[in-house]
Amino acid sequence: MTTPLTKPSLDDPRIAIPAASEWYEPAPTAQTERQAEFLNLRDGEMFVNMGPQHPSTHGVLRIVVKVNGEQVVDLDPVLGYLHRGVEKLCENADYHQAICYTDPLEYVASLFCEAAPVAAFEKLMDVEVPRRAQYIRVLTMELNRIASHTLFQGWMALDLGGITPILWSFIERDEIVDMLAALTGQKLLYNYYRIGGVNGDLNHEFMSRLGNWMSRAAAQIDSNLGLMNENEIFVRRTRGLGTLDAATALRMGVTGPNLRATGVPFDLRRDHPYLVYPELEFNVPTRDEGDSLARYMVRIDEIRESIRIIDQVLHEMPDGPVMAKLPRLIRPRPGRAFGAVEGPRGAYGVYAISDGTDQPFRMRIHDPSFVHLQLVGPLTRGNLIADTMAVMASLDPVMGGVDK
Amino acid sequence: MVWSRMTPGGRALAVLLPLLSVGGAVLTALLVVAGPFIGATIGANLPIVRFLAASVITFLITVPVAFLLIYMEMKIIALMNLRIGPDRIGPGGAVMSVVHGLKVLKKEDFTPPSVDVPVFTLAPVVVYLASFMTVMVIPFAPDLTSVGLEFGLLYFFAIGGLGVVGLMMAGWSSFNKYSLLGGIRAAAQSISYEIPLTLSVVGIIILTGTLSLPKIVEAQSGSLLDWFIFRQPLAAIIFFIAITAEANRTPFDNTEADQEIVAGFATEYSGMRFGFFFFAEYVNVFIVSALFSAVFLGGSNAPISLPFSPEIVVDLSGLGLLLPIAAGIAPLLGTLAIGLPIYAISARIKAWQALLAGFLIFGALSTAAIGFWAWAMLPPVADLVWFLLKTFTLIFIFVWMRATLPRARIDQLMGFAWKWLLPASLLNLFVTAAAVLLTA
Repeated sequence: MTTPLTKPSLDDPRIAIPAASEWYEPAPTAQTERQAEFLNLRDGEMFVNMGPQHPSTHGVLRIVVKVNGEQVVDLDPVLGYLHRGVEKLCENADYHQAICYTDPLEYVASLFCEAAPVAAFEKLMDVEVPRRAQYIRVLTMELNRIASHTLFQGWMALDLGGITPILWSFIERDEIVDMLAALTGQKLLYNYYRIGGVNGDLNHEFMSRLGNWMSRAAAQIDSNLGLMNENEIFVRRTRGLGTLDAATALRMGVTGPNLRATGVPFDLRRDHPYLVYPELEFNVPTRDEGDSLARYMVRIDEIRESIRIIDQVLHEMPDGPVMAKLPRLIRPRPGRAFGAVEGPRGAYGVYAISDGTDQPFRMRIHDPSFVHLQLVGPLTRGNLIADTMAVMASLDPVMGGVDK
Repeated sequence: MVWSRMTPGGRALAVLLPLLSVGGAVLTALLVVAGPFIGATIGANLPIVRFLAASVITFLITVPVAFLLIYMEMKIIALMNLRIGPDRIGPGGAVMSVVHGLKVLKKEDFTPPSVDVPVFTLAPVVVYLASFMTVMVIPFAPDLTSVGLEFGLLYFFAIGGLGVVGLMMAGWSSFNKYSLLGGIRAAAQSISYEIPLTLSVVGIIILTGTLSLPKIVEAQSGSLLDWFIFRQPLAAIIFFIAITAEANRTPFDNTEADQEIVAGFATEYSGMRFGFFFFAEYVNVFIVSALFSAVFLGGSNAPISLPFSPEIVVDLSGLGLLLPIAAGIAPLLGTLAIGLPIYAISARIKAWQALLAGFLIFGALSTAAIGFWAWAMLPPVADLVWFLLKTFTLIFIFVWMRATLPRARIDQLMGFAWKWLLPASLLNLFVTAAAVLLTA
């Protein structure tokens, strides 16, 4: 007797479905004191697992939230879902190739991920970058900063439940990305900076697009802000939420807008100048509150400062070569160098060690998102589930850089 | 064999045509033989027949209403987002929501193991039933109500509150923590907002002395200033906020906040069961808008009375046998009369294009003429038009709010209901009662 062919179904009695209690992995045994505290469920508490596939975790971040009703008691970010071993890959590539490996780390602002290793390698090589190339780097980096911050603005609104701002802010980002694509040939991972300069001079399409955009950028970005800054619900949900004080921020190693929102005017562009930033006029916007709204407002102010910097760069850009004269195969002398840039999320640094071969002996990448993600737990503890999203959006982590 | 050489369409015809003709013959014979008996039965049980017909019609109305609302929402939010929105299926993407419905219908209806199966299965039914049952008391026009209940408003709140039981059932039975949070949120939110919702209309009940929705509409039948939105402005504001929360619309859509708890109570649902939740949501938007326009915006009363009253009396009974002949010929003649000048005007327009254009223009013109005649001569049509205009204006405001506002947090939401809306509605009630006492 043959069994009839049927569609496989869970209703089939031949398929044994384990009881619900057997589905769960065995509870992890606590390795540390902190883990033991986290795994200990008191009365009325439960774990809610968010991610790695969750609508608002900004990529493949997994958060295990311990909740009591709606209240977040404790929170544990679980990292590593996007780990690609970039640092190790860079050790097995020559110095030029290492730049394009670091490119996709912070994929929404990838020019900064190129600028940091390039700066470190240039220190190793002791090479002087032509002034025009320096200006072009500043120009493109500030454009990329605006692209990143406008996207942040949309994300912030989306995580709070508003659906329109992200589409409006994508208009600005698309325009910037298109003009950078006209310059570099790519829309997301530009791979534009080279050791000793940039790959190709500014071209006509880029300049005409940039001119068009600059004529309306400030007004356009301001008009987009009206939907959020004057919105009572948005302000009430973010004001006083996830307040970070300056001392804690400094102790945790927070940099960038998140640090400046606590009142510390630390900006690598001014405090550890690189490229031609010392010759440019710009303010370092700060806020004293340290809450989610302040983190948001600091970024909005930075957009305005970036537009100001671009304006100055366009007026002062000199003529000349965009690439220093270097041998094709780069073999720096043995030594070590640290190159850092002020990215849209904070200080983005690369520590490179050369052993005299054409490959870096070691490349350590410091990503600010990784540091900031530590704050999600302390800042959301005691708030509600919905606040987790608001705090995380205001810290603006990018998982590509966190998991490396 | 002939059958093997037939196309699928031909096979369908070959099967269906005999079946239809036999069935039609049987039905005709049945009607001829038992016609008087059936007629007498219907005549004797008219209330029951009317109730059944009204229920079926109301049930059937909810589906196209949901389709229309889904399309409206997709298109309006797209315009506000500076997108195009659906534009592929049907003119301007108008059939998109129907295709969504069909897609939901053909997807696998999956019951995850270890859910509470009876409760899980019943939950969407309860939710849809609650929203469909509230449609039955909506006064579309003075005589156009499915069930003219004397206590329609009370019935509305009672049955409308039943929907949250379904949401709780879904949240509890789904064996999912997101669902559980969504269900609990739904319960907390609905209970909190039902109190100001009900209290805000008590002032109107005092003023009109009735719970019947058609009578409340009738009480506003004077001028524009007799609408309760002008006589009870505070109640209107409270009521609007409360129905936004009752219908789970932005900024109070915490029950299915996708950034926080994925899809809330509907996380584990798929296929048509999810479709029921989805439809019920949009039917809910329609009914709360309809209730607002009935209670506060004068319902089917016209906002302005026209200075002239068009009297278009068309007496077709004198034509006799000419009537069907004229009805058959008129479209042909009209199509030709409009199509020929179009054909003559340019050599680039082909004959079939001119005829199609003529047919469409004639159709539009005759529809407009018939519509105008119906609007002028049949009072329910004009009333229905005004009622739907008001309702859809409100629906537009709901969609607008969804495109504009972020979501309120659950504690702010509850605090707002208990700290602001409830005292305000009590204040409104006391002031109204005092005014009625003093003037009486």
